[in-house]
Amino acid sequence: MSKTTAFIFVAMAVLFLAMPAFAQTPAGEAGNTAYYWALPLGAGAAIGIAAGLCGLGQGKATASAVEALARNPGARPGIFIFLLLGLALIESLALYALVIAFSIIGKLK
Amino acid sequence: MEQLWITALLNRLLGGPVNALLEKLPPAFHPADPNAPISNAVAVEILVIAILLLIFIWVRSRLSVEKPGGSQHLAETLHEFITDQSDQIIGHHSEKFTPFLASLFIFILLMNLIGLIPGFESPTVTPAVPLGCAVVAFLYYNLHGIKKQGPLKFLAHFAGPVWWMAWIIFPIEIISTLARVMSLTIRLYANIFAGDMVTAAFFTLIPIGIPVIFLLLHVGVSFLQAYIFTLLVTIYLSGVVAEEH
Repeated sequence: MSKTTAFIFVAMAVLFLAMPAFAQTPAGEAGNTAYYWALPLGAGAAIGIAAGLCGLGQGKATASAVEALARNPGARPGIFIFLLLGLALIESLALYALVIAFSIIGKLK
Repeated sequence: MEQLWITALLNRLLGGPVNALLEKLPPAFHPADPNAPISNAVAVEILVIAILLLIFIWVRSRLSVEKPGGSQHLAETLHEFITDQSDQIIGHHSEKFTPFLASLFIFILLMNLIGLIPGFESPTVTPAVPLGCAVVAFLYYNLHGIKKQGPLKFLAHFAGPVWWMAWIIFPIEIISTLARVMSLTIRLYANIFAGDMVTAAFFTLIPIGIPVIFLLLHVGVSFLQAYIFTLLVTIYLSGVVAEEH
């Protein structure tokens, strides 16, 4: 069996591990609320991971902006604009995760 | 839904005509509560527009070439800020975009800031208001792109640099352009809404002193988010309107 064939079979096996999800009965009103204990964990994990990684990204952006400013203090306006743009775009990724966390918590109520 | 004093005032004055108007539209537009057809967000938006109109009329009355006063300096600062930035990003012929960009900036800024005053609530904490601003900006820059380049060339620029990858790049570009509406909306909405939530959370923890820091943070975030919204719309404009050298 060649490496490609083996890889394809392993990929199929991993995908078929998701089969139990298809066995779920359609949820009714009084139905599957048994998983509601996991919703706050999911929301907390989502925003925690997002905020942590956002902090790393913004730290890197700020570090290189400050270093560029130290090398070339005359380029301050341009560097400032790019720094603000970069920070806001990175921040917005963490905010998407926050909105998802809010909607998860909203599903709880 | 608890009403602010401005909402109660507007509902008392204009509730009847607004209800009559909304009843004529399809059922999706009917107000949830017929006693209060105007929501908080709409009432404060109307107030913000009224304040801006008063400011503009006041500045216009004080304009003078020989002896510029303080309000003229402020207005010129705002004008130069927007024109410098759009000139830097879009290039020449960018003056025709200044009215829209400046209005967008000062509208979003005032909407964000008015939430700090007790008795008012920022309209941008309801997701519909940033969505409205984002959809208007999206239509604006796309229409200018179509007007500048013609519809066929405008659609062709989604296809990417090489023609033999266009079949996969075209849907990706279309989706990423539509995602700009979502990203502009959620960025503005979540920043202001989360700021309010955090301020409220700290109010319940330590009622005296510490929440002032979060109010200052809200001021900073208001300015930054209004600026980022305008900057991103300027960048999207430059993407569709820029001329090849």
